[in-house]
Amino acid sequence: MTTVRVITPFVFTLGLFVMFHGADSSGGGFQGGVIVGTVVLMLGIAFGIETTREWIGPNIPILMICLGVLAFLLIGIGSVLLGGGFLEYSTYGFYHATKYGIEFVELAIGLIVSGIVTGLFFVIASGLQGNRSDVR
Amino acid sequence: MIGVLDVVLLAFILGCALATALLRDVLGSIIAFSAYSLGIAVIWVFLRAPDVGLTEAAVGAGVMTILFLVTIAKTSRPSGERTLERIDYRAAGIAIALVAVLSTTLVALPPFGSAESAVLTDEVTRYYLANAYEQTEVKNAVTAVLAGYRGFDTLGEAAVVYAAGVSLLVVLKKQVFA
Repeated sequence: MTTVRVITPFVFTLGLFVMFHGADSSGGGFQGGVIVGTVVLMLGIAFGIETTREWIGPNIPILMICLGVLAFLLIGIGSVLLGGGFLEYSTYGFYHATKYGIEFVELAIGLIVSGIVTGLFFVIASGLQGNRSDVR
Repeated sequence: MIGVLDVVLLAFILGCALATALLRDVLGSIIAFSAYSLGIAVIWVFLRAPDVGLTEAAVGAGVMTILFLVTIAKTSRPSGERTLERIDYRAAGIAIALVAVLSTTLVALPPFGSAESAVLTDEVTRYYLANAYEQTEVKNAVTAVLAGYRGFDTLGEAAVVYAAGVSLLVVLKKQVFA
């Protein structure tokens, strides 16, 4: 438990770093999202899955997944509305629009993936620890 | 060029794969599978594909292992003292035949690290490598292709992940991940 408490912020930061820095080095939204999701898995293993689930709340993973997909879709449709092609970041026209557009998309992917990893873990682990009422 | 390290790594991966298939204890099998994924991740780095290696290490060796462990916590250990599973020779024969058939394509592959491989000489690859930085201002050409040139494909992948999550909930008749 102590180990997890100590390394959790570092792993979380590494995940965000991989997500943000995917544009300039290896990594990206998918890998970073998985690492961020791993934080929840570690907490679940160390402090008990039920405790972690109650702490995070059942709706957060769903919200993250939906928010990620929506953000990705909207940034694609937004450039069409501004008169460019789908996902043509340069139509947004602000400073380094393409670079920051790609970073934003990576972040959206990271949201989706970390939400899915967390959610899968909670779903598969449900029914453990004698709480069999969830398993039908 | 294949060095000593590659041979050792390949032998390690092959051993882990065999252990995964043959170990009777599921827990041991999962641990062997995790080691196998880690070996594959190192192979990806050797093949200059750090992005793929990172994914393999995070998903294959990390998350999958945890998900498998949580899953087998609901099962019971098979009784008996044997360490290895008994081999089904008919199934093994079919598997070996399939590997033999697939191996015939090996001769068509370019040599390891060859500069004349179809991927490197292809016009699309050259275009991406020459223009990715100027057009997308992103230093990692892989990211430039994934989120820039092929952004629509990546949106499709994101939708697949989303659909997988939703269908899991539908199958389990749940409304939240709980």
